[in-house]
Amino acid sequence: MRPRLLLALAAALVLVPAALLLAFRMPEFGAHPLPYGDAATALMLHERHVTNMVSGVNFDLRAIDTLGEEIMLLAAVGGAVMLLRGARGEGGQRRAAAIPGRPIPRRSEAVVLLCRLLAPVTLLFGLYVVLHAQLTPGGGFQGGVIIASAMLLVWLGEGYAAWRRMLPGPLLHALEGGGAALYALAGLAGLALGDAFLANVLPPGESGSLLSGGLIPLLNLGVALAVAGGFAMLFLEFLEETRAPEEGEE
Amino acid sequence: MSLLLITLFLLVAATGTGVVLTREPRRQVLALAANGLALTLLFTALQAPDAAFSQLVVGTAAVPLLFLVALASLRLHGPPKEERKE
Repeated sequence: MRPRLLLALAAALVLVPAALLLAFRMPEFGAHPLPYGDAATALMLHERHVTNMVSGVNFDLRAIDTLGEEIMLLAAVGGAVMLLRGARGEGGQRRAAAIPGRPIPRRSEAVVLLCRLLAPVTLLFGLYVVLHAQLTPGGGFQGGVIIASAMLLVWLGEGYAAWRRMLPGPLLHALEGGGAALYALAGLAGLALGDAFLANVLPPGESGSLLSGGLIPLLNLGVALAVAGGFAMLFLEFLEETRAPEEGEE
Repeated sequence: MSLLLITLFLLVAATGTGVVLTREPRRQVLALAANGLALTLLFTALQAPDAAFSQLVVGTAAVPLLFLVALASLRLHGPPKEERKE
C-alpha cells in the first residue's frame, strides 16, 4: 500500500467520526437561530431605506471591513503586477506570441459576432448591477468583475492588439487607485462632521430610489471602480505573459 | 430540504470530484469552471444571489482565465515539453 493512502486512511479514522458527530449536532438546515440577521434587516430597511441587506451590511454596518478588503485587493493586484513586470519590464508589444511551427487559427466569425454583441450587453449589465447595489442583489464587487469580463470579451472578439489599443493601462491604474481612494475619502466625511469614520452621514433618501442608502451608493461606486480596474489590470498583466517577447528580452 | 437542493448538492459533489479526478491541467481548469457553475446554481437555490453573483464571475470567468493564461505562458516560456506518454 502506498504511504499516501495509509496516511489518508489514518486521518479518515479520526476525521470521519468527528465530521459525522458535527453533522448531527448542527442546527437544522435553513434555521437561523441568531438575532443578528433580523436586527440588521430591520435597521437597514427602516433607517437606511435599503432593500438589499447584503449591501447594507457591507457598506454601512461593516463598512470598515469592506475598506480592509479593498486595500487587500489593491495590495494583491499591485503585488501580482509587480511580480509579473519584474521579469518582463513595463513595455508592451502589439503582437501575441506563438509557438514556432504552430500557426494560430483565424478567429471564427461566429466568435467575433458573439463577442461584439455580448461585450456591450455585459458592460451594461455590469453597470446595472453596480448602480442597483442597494436595491437588488449584486453590488460593487460583482458589478466590477462583470465590467472587467466585458473588457475581456473585447480581447476574445477583437484580438490582443485591438484590445491593448482600447484599454490603456494607465486608465486601469487610475480606476483601481481612484476607487480605493474614493472609498477611504468618503469615510473621512464622517470624521469631518464630528462623527465616526465611515459613518453614514448622508440622508437615507427614498426607499427604492437609486440614491437611497445615504453614503452606500458612493462607497459602492468606489468598490466598483477599484474592482473593475483591478481585475482588468490583472487580466491585462496575465495576458501580457502570452505576448511575443521583445528584442533583447529574455 | 427539497429535491432541488438535494440534486444541486449532489451536482456540486459530483463536479468537485470531477476536478480532483481530472489529471490533464487544461481539462481540470474547465472542470473547475463547471464546479463553479454548480456552486452558483446551489447559491441561487439557497436564496443567496449576492454570493451566487460573486461565485459566477470569479469562479467561472476570472479564475479559469488566469489558470489558462498561466498554462499558455508555461508552454510559451517554459522548458520544451517532453513527448506525451500516451
